[in-house]
Amino acid sequence: MILRIFFAYAGWFLLVTILFAGAPGHGDSSLQLHITHIMGAQPLVRNQVTYTNSSGEPFTISRFRYFLSNFSLETVDGKRSILPLSYFLVDDAIDSSKIIRLDNIPAGQYKSIRFLIGVDSIRNVSGAQSGALAVESGMFWTWNSGYIMAQIEGHSPVITSPTQEFLFHTGGYKAANQVLKYVVLTFPQPLSITTGKQPQVQLSADVAKWFLPDTVSFKQVAVIMAPGVNARKVASNYQHMFRVTGISD
Amino acid sequence: MKYKAIYIIAVFCAWLALVQAGAQKSRRGDPAPYFLQLPSHFPRPAYDFSRNPLTKPGVALGRFMFYDYRLSKDSTVSCGFCHQQFAAFGHFDHALAHGVAGQQGMRSVPTLFNMIWQKAFMWDGGVNHLEIQPLTPLTDRNEMAMDLKELLQKMQADPQYRKMFKAAFGSPEITSERMFKAFTQFIATMVSANSKYDSVMLHLPGASFSDEEKAGYSVFREKCAACHKEPLFTDLTYRSNGLPYLAALNDVGRMKITGNTDDNLRFKVPSLRNILKSAPYMHDGRFFDIFQVFDFYDHGIKVTPTTDPLVKSGIPLSDREKRQLYFFLNTLTDYSFLSNKELSEVLIN
Repeated sequence: MILRIFFAYAGWFLLVTILFAGAPGHGDSSLQLHITHIMGAQPLVRNQVTYTNSSGEPFTISRFRYFLSNFSLETVDGKRSILPLSYFLVDDAIDSSKIIRLDNIPAGQYKSIRFLIGVDSIRNVSGAQSGALAVESGMFWTWNSGYIMAQIEGHSPVITSPTQEFLFHTGGYKAANQVLKYVVLTFPQPLSITTGKQPQVQLSADVAKWFLPDTVSFKQVAVIMAPGVNARKVASNYQHMFRVTGISD
Repeated sequence: MKYKAIYIIAVFCAWLALVQAGAQKSRRGDPAPYFLQLPSHFPRPAYDFSRNPLTKPGVALGRFMFYDYRLSKDSTVSCGFCHQQFAAFGHFDHALAHGVAGQQGMRSVPTLFNMIWQKAFMWDGGVNHLEIQPLTPLTDRNEMAMDLKELLQKMQADPQYRKMFKAAFGSPEITSERMFKAFTQFIATMVSANSKYDSVMLHLPGASFSDEEKAGYSVFREKCAACHKEPLFTDLTYRSNGLPYLAALNDVGRMKITGNTDDNLRFKVPSLRNILKSAPYMHDGRFFDIFQVFDFYDHGIKVTPTTDPLVKSGIPLSDREKRQLYFFLNTLTDYSFLSNKELSEVLIN
């Protein structure tokens, strides 16, 4: 009898434990973003290929990096699902950085995705960070604290400096000069998130968009390394660089 | 029967509690906390310790790194190379900071104490958090000129560092976040609040100003305290004090950070604590004697559009007032801080 009561209680206890332990994360699913870097219609090739910008200036690209963060999804009936805070540093030179896995997405039908190009202001003022935000990436200004949200570097013969290098480092999180750009991308058809599946969303990021519609000329500005009007201009351009090129279950 | 059932369940619960306690016990390896005595007459620190609680091995690691010259590109310059304890962690007798390979910067080495009360760092306030402050001197080519990735690899290869990081953070992994937090822990212990002035203010037995110190305190209250606000002896604002601009250095100060012309020639108001031990003075170290500073405020101010209204017409100081002020400033020297053995240089082999 005693034993039976004990086992009955222990059984209940076990059941409750399993329920509680299993609750968070259970039933949630994940999503993968696959990013391809392009220049106009062609895949981006660093160093080897000479491109021409909207001012007719030839140039090559040696580096292309940016932060993505603050992801959320919108369901087909208009509800926004804010995903757990995560930060990714995408680097054209590192293929694995172009695959982003988003976890803990509630099951559902989604019509669009929203994210930030850059790092939100809170993480810009919160001291030492880890992971993608660790400052040894070089994506942080040492003399005027703040993350470099996005970066392209390359060379152009029209630049008169000895290295003929252009360095576009955009940053700024304070109101007057902030370059925090949210991007909303609509899926071509509703994306279904269910347990056990990991659908993929193919994105393209077009470097050519950095130079338009507000025309950029290397002759005029070759170095952007501080928050300000030039960083704001380039960021307003590149906020349009992402496209959804496909989704798959 | 019922009682027996309850008894068994109670035993079961006790067993669960024991298992829990066992899990707690594994936390016994946590680093020993470091208790930092905060001065009762100071405001609450600006630094949030909740994300980086002080521990003995954490502070010890920060101190070791602070004095390790291997943290610079050619292993010649440590933090303590420029930040000397006897000079209140400023650089004795050096107008401008200098670093590896004979490089020279364009500002004087700021003193280091009471940093946990500051919200922004450097003469222009360009660094927005105490934890990432070391990033600038470590990587600046005029200072330690280190590549941060290289530095982390160098430290990771050193068994002594792996041991110290393990003691401070539980595992030998060396990340920049941990490194910065350990630096911060050591810097946080640099509290200077035990000068004669403090003893007088706290009415400690036997502590009192001499007549001249008292007179100097009155002069200070009347002519200096608006910017050099007690008890930190700075209001932590950025002001243009009318110091003549030097074309050779072309230092625009805070304007470089904000891009606002209204911030031209503004610099952070420095603390006056330990001031007589931390010459030279001003952001470019142009004055080597405190009486030169008095003379400057008396008749050397060059008014520009951003010059602070409080100094625009100069601060008239008679010879007698200068002497009194000198005696008062002398009471701001914190000898226990300057000779605190817990902050002194450690030998790096």
